[in-house]
Amino acid sequence: MIPAVLGAAALLAALQATTPPYATLTGPISTVGRQSDTVSSDTFSVKINRVLKAKSIAYKQFGRAVDLQSSGVWVAVSAELQAFQKTVPVRAATLIGSSGRMYRQSRRAGDAPNVLSTKTVQPGLPTTGLLVFELPEDELRNMKLVLSEQYDPQLKDEISVSLETIETAPQARLEIRKDGV
Amino acid sequence: MAFDRERRTWLLSLASLPLLVVAAVVVNAWRNIEDYRHRIETDIQQGSGQLDYAGAAWRLEKVRLIGDGRDAQLRLPGEMRLIIVRMVATAARDIGDGWSQCEVSLVDGTGRRWLPLDVILSSDISRDLEPNSEPVKGCGITSLHPPHQDHAALIEEKFVVPAAAVSTLAVRLSVAALRPRAIGFPLALN
Repeated sequence: MIPAVLGAAALLAALQATTPPYATLTGPISTVGRQSDTVSSDTFSVKINRVLKAKSIAYKQFGRAVDLQSSGVWVAVSAELQAFQKTVPVRAATLIGSSGRMYRQSRRAGDAPNVLSTKTVQPGLPTTGLLVFELPEDELRNMKLVLSEQYDPQLKDEISVSLETIETAPQARLEIRKDGV
Repeated sequence: MAFDRERRTWLLSLASLPLLVVAAVVVNAWRNIEDYRHRIETDIQQGSGQLDYAGAAWRLEKVRLIGDGRDAQLRLPGEMRLIIVRMVATAARDIGDGWSQCEVSLVDGTGRRWLPLDVILSSDISRDLEPNSEPVKGCGITSLHPPHQDHAALIEEKFVVPAAAVSTLAVRLSVAALRPRAIGFPLALN
């Protein structure tokens, strides 16, 4: 009897030690790719067109000129999204900097024209737009862009794209128009 | 004697543990499957006239295809088209909360599914197209104040779709209480 109980206890301990945590079991379904590729999950895909950095961004809102300065750097990512089987609102975009810190889309630039987070991607209609981030200048190497329907997705697709490092200095001013940058 | 009875009870408890674990897993899985079934549409009743569903008789009232210049003389960029679907539901009984989580979507022959535009954008488009009329409510808002018995409700939803899919589209409607059952009407657009 005692060996059986010990065996059962050892088996249970092994099962407990090797069971992934709940957050992992119910976490995102990740797809990883590079900036030069179109990265596709089961539900949507992303193609990065351009990555630009600037010290200030400018756009027009209701005919009024908006000029936003930053003590860090603005990073504007121009991308094309496609939905495959169902309408997908890609609301969540995060830029992971070289330190591993995560930067969500800037709320300061939330009313800029052509921002992807305000759009809904319909099957058969590729949608282009911008993702705008504000981050410290020393975070710009080996950045990773992470996209999903919502932040902290559970059992839903999440696409992670490694961005190429831009060696040039940030431009002084980036103008965002209705048709992009 | 008392020791034997205690030992028998202990063994019985130990032996029943696997059965209880299996029973717990089955009950939990059954609940999850039931939840999942109430979120999908697999049993579709298709029709072109009138269909009975969720305590009402449903029919397609009007479908508009906007964007190719024929309706409202409006041209949308590229392949983009706007489809406005109006449906009428005549209640055969008091609906109560029977239409909760009402969902309307468009589907094509390959299984692609388009969801309606959000309420704010939909109302803005309604005001642009018909400035003198009050925007017609969607199914979700109508489900909060459904019609009484023998009264009818008009429901409107708007969709953005690619031009290539227009000819094969059908509208689909379902409510949480009856899913996976749903009803569908072909739009018959050209």
